[in-house]
Amino acid sequence: MSSDSIQQAIIMGNVASISTDVNQLLNEGVNSQNILDEQLLPGMAIVGDRFKRNEMFLPQVLMSAQAMQTAIDILKPHLAGNSEARQRQTVIIGTVKGDMHDIGKNLVRIMLIGAGFEVIDLGVNVPTQRFLEATTQHQAAVVCLSALLSSTMNNMKDVVATFRNHSDLKDTKILIGGAPVSHEFSQNIGADGYAPTAPAAVERVQQLCGQ
Amino acid sequence: MTGRERVLSALKRIETSRVPIGEIGGGYTDVIIKAILGDQYNQGSDASFLNHQSMRELLGADIVGARITGPAVEVVGIHEDWGTEIFRDFWGATHTQPPDATVQLVDPIAHSPAELESWRPPDVSNFDSSQLSRWKNTTDFFVLATLNAGFDLGYELLGFERFMMWTIEARDIMKQYYEKLIQTNLSLALMSVEAGADAILIADDLAFNTGTFVDPEYLRSDYFPILKTMVMEIKKHGLPVFFHSDGDLRTIIPDLIDCGIDALQSCDPNANMDIPTLKSEYGQDLAFMGNIDVDLLANGTVNEVENTTRTLIHDARSGGGFILGTSNVVASYCKPENLKAMYAVAHKELK
Repeated sequence: MSSDSIQQAIIMGNVASISTDVNQLLNEGVNSQNILDEQLLPGMAIVGDRFKRNEMFLPQVLMSAQAMQTAIDILKPHLAGNSEARQRQTVIIGTVKGDMHDIGKNLVRIMLIGAGFEVIDLGVNVPTQRFLEATTQHQAAVVCLSALLSSTMNNMKDVVATFRNHSDLKDTKILIGGAPVSHEFSQNIGADGYAPTAPAAVERVQQLCGQ
Repeated sequence: MTGRERVLSALKRIETSRVPIGEIGGGYTDVIIKAILGDQYNQGSDASFLNHQSMRELLGADIVGARITGPAVEVVGIHEDWGTEIFRDFWGATHTQPPDATVQLVDPIAHSPAELESWRPPDVSNFDSSQLSRWKNTTDFFVLATLNAGFDLGYELLGFERFMMWTIEARDIMKQYYEKLIQTNLSLALMSVEAGADAILIADDLAFNTGTFVDPEYLRSDYFPILKTMVMEIKKHGLPVFFHSDGDLRTIIPDLIDCGIDALQSCDPNANMDIPTLKSEYGQDLAFMGNIDVDLLANGTVNEVENTTRTLIHDARSGGGFILGTSNVVASYCKPENLKAMYAVAHKELK
């Protein structure tokens, strides 16, 4: 089994082949963390780069993400019992209250999973309190807020302010994204960053997590 | 010169003393209408039509967007999270509208490619075109009949991710799906022609701000040939065809021209769709409408809107082929004073 084969299965979004390949490597005694770090994550990194350069498009990225999720689901029990396994960091993501748009948010979720993060997707129209509850419950490293409308982007301000005023969660890293928001807006509301695209969001989350 | 004549001149690349201005429909909430009309706001059974007419006349609009209307939606339940009514549209999908939020798909028309293959679109022969006829027969606005095609409507009825995956997993069934949707929308287009529409606008979002959702090659092989049959059938009746899509369309503009599209509406500056630049490259083949940023209209000052509008008119008016408007639709959160400012500048900046 070559790493090229697994990477190709990720890039091509081949769910059937990735199941076979990952199981085969596990049966051969390959360390689950190594499969993730050396084969799956580099495959998804190629997908992200190609998407950024408009060489891959949403359907292909979704297929790759499905293959990645399949592989992670197979690896999960092995990672849990692996003393060498690294703790996957958790990201909370959601579209703020009043806004039902989820295309951009879903794309960021998919690419974060592809980059190896554990992602808790709260969906759309998410009340402020729900972001706080989920952050506490999952001990999240980063919270990602999405909004598509000028009218709802201001709800991000409320979410950030509530975090900043919370004794236990005031230092939570918060990233914002969506068509109407900007770097300047993220600074004005006290967020930790802004990402104009899904690949940029992944890079920014990695930076915020010290990766 | 009437609004209708002014827009037709722009489409013929004739520069008029004032640039045409207008919107494709939607967005104008009652709050915005009241703010613009003030004391002239109408009450009574016919108020909705009269208010839309009065508001456009007060602003000095040249265009009205209108739709053939379907039967009333059927309420089929209550959403357990939001407590809002779930309603079934005439295509068969169910939706709900949570408080202070936009409409959300609840249940798609199909859960598997096999279900989609057996799905049949509705009969639209009993749909109502009287509103569209009324705009044509009682006003001088350029009546832009708005309908859909196969892509945007396609993912609204299926859910975005499911739709995107099936473009790979069920390619032939998706082509059949586009054909079904486009045939139904073509029927609506022909009803609009009969009702007196001056042009047809196909609303079909294909892109986000960094490019098309799917590979342009996919659109060329699987979608545009079907879209082209719709456009050509409409054009047999002598009507120009407008196309609306959000996002950065630059890689597919030549394809839209090949499909027979006469004018491209939206042209969001945040998606690199700058009309003066696009005109310099494609102005011979395509007219352009829009380009005033909706977010500017929502968050900017009157002075900023005036300056942006003035600059755009100056840079885009030469030789016709340009219709001023918002870079999408008038969003419910646009400031009425900014909308008034945009229209006022159009009426002041004469050649």
